[in-house]
Amino acid sequence: MQSDSIKRAIPWMLSLAVLALLPVTGLLRGSFLSHVLVMILLNASMAQAWNIIGGYAGQVSFGHSVFFGIGAYGAAYAVTNLKMTPYPGALAGAVLAAVLAVIIGYPTFKLKGHYFAIATFAIVEVFHRLFMIWEDVGGAVGLDYPILKDGWRNFSWSRSKVGYFYGALILFGIIFSLVRALEKARFGYYLKAIREGQETAESLGVDARRYKLAAMALSAAMAAMCGAFFAQYNYRVDPSMVLSLDMSMRFVLITILGGIGTLWGPLLGAAILIPLQEYTRAYLAKLGPGVDLVIFGLIIILVMQFQPKGIMGMIDAARKRRRKLAAAGNEHEGGRQ
Amino acid sequence: MSEFLQIRNVTMKFGELLADKDVSFDVPKGMICGLIGPNGAGKTTLFNCIAGYYAPTAGEIFFEGKRISGLPPYRIARLGIARTFQVVRPLKEMSVLDNIMVGAFLHHASAAEARKAAERCLDLCFLEEYRNKPAGDLTIGNKKRLEVARALATNPKLLLLDECVAGLTSTEVHDMVQVIKRLRDEGITILMVEHIMEAIMPIADKIVVLSHGEKIAEGSPSVVVHDPMVITAYLGEKFARKLAEQKAAAGEGGAL
Repeated sequence: MQSDSIKRAIPWMLSLAVLALLPVTGLLRGSFLSHVLVMILLNASMAQAWNIIGGYAGQVSFGHSVFFGIGAYGAAYAVTNLKMTPYPGALAGAVLAAVLAVIIGYPTFKLKGHYFAIATFAIVEVFHRLFMIWEDVGGAVGLDYPILKDGWRNFSWSRSKVGYFYGALILFGIIFSLVRALEKARFGYYLKAIREGQETAESLGVDARRYKLAAMALSAAMAAMCGAFFAQYNYRVDPSMVLSLDMSMRFVLITILGGIGTLWGPLLGAAILIPLQEYTRAYLAKLGPGVDLVIFGLIIILVMQFQPKGIMGMIDAARKRRRKLAAAGNEHEGGRQ
Repeated sequence: MSEFLQIRNVTMKFGELLADKDVSFDVPKGMICGLIGPNGAGKTTLFNCIAGYYAPTAGEIFFEGKRISGLPPYRIARLGIARTFQVVRPLKEMSVLDNIMVGAFLHHASAAEARKAAERCLDLCFLEEYRNKPAGDLTIGNKKRLEVARALATNPKLLLLDECVAGLTSTEVHDMVQVIKRLRDEGITILMVEHIMEAIMPIADKIVVLSHGEKIAEGSPSVVVHDPMVITAYLGEKFARKLAEQKAAAGEGGAL
């Protein structure tokens, strides 16, 4: 068993290593390409954070921009107002986000139906308003970073994006490794069981509410870490940048497109949508704002028409077809002998 | 011995509807106990009270001396009572083995151990060949055995089977009866709600009969089937009278 799990980890470790070597190859010299890669890794991490509660546990949240925002403000507040490094701020943001997640989840997970989704919807608006009028965190103007020395201490790089690339890769590595481990563990099995049938799960000894709360807290904390990265990357944060339904939908849509409740879905979704978004923004901007969102929507409608399980679902279906063909071929040969 | 499962004066009301009225009986350890009765007799409701899905309106249920009525289902499962559902509830997107593993995780923290335990239940319930199939794709007979396998994986002391042979073909019924016998041999006490007399009579050690929410008979299968109240409940008053007359006539004529 031990050697099995090591064997299973090899492709994953290799892909991380390949990604880590990308900057050395010089491929990332163009700053736009590095920007796109950073955004893919960040958005894949965000989608994966959402996937824990939305995909594995099957509880759709529209409130992840709030957790993201809390992380972003945590890091920014530590840097701008407290003159600290962003790390304690990011950590505090993650803890606060987890606490908030439990506060929202506790009453709504008791109820059946869509109450949880509705409650998460509502908090986005509440927090947007709250941060707009909260003077201590800059109100509508938000927080602007001062000029800082480049490097890991400040998590800030002004000359090249390679530092951010590694930062995003670490974030991606942590969140994906976490979900990868979770998928094969009791926790992951229980979340899936709750999604597939809460009463069944409870009949098997699963305290469904506790597991949903734990998943929600973990998901929110991870979303907050992504938010902290986002603030560092943009060197500023304001309420509309992070605390919006648009931002919340990003978590949901990338995961749905890639394949909800699957390990690689979030990465696939981000790898398709983010370049598209960044390139349409760069080259089709004259068509007016929001062109990228129109294309975003069209792709999702198209994919969902064919395969509600997203791109991972398409890949699985193709694999199954091939296996069936192979099996049919074998039988045929067997018949002739 | 009768300390195992005790049902004491359980009444369950839904608004004005009285589903179970003052039901009391014991299930001794190691037995197969059948709970039978016509449609709407309150069998499944009583099951749901034992498994924690309903808190009885009045009365109490004790398991190994501990009061369990009113506890949530997951706590009851942890005490060693597992159940199956009358309308099967496979975790559709998960494979058959994964379904059973969810049950096995109750007493095995590591995935490797849970898999080992789940594989045993897979074999015990004749499901080996479907191991990696999505549970949603199984036939009804296999889904019913999956219900049993999954419940079994929680390593229960008491297994509640809710109409586990209803809707099955005769081969499937035969398979299921084999499975139930195997479980009894493993030392698991079984309380089964059943509609199909042919399935339950040959294997049950004890039968409890409910009708209109009340217990009307309790005893060994051979005693219960000859109970006039049971015959009335199942076949109607008119038929029961006719049967009694016939029997009386046959008794007079054919007595040795």
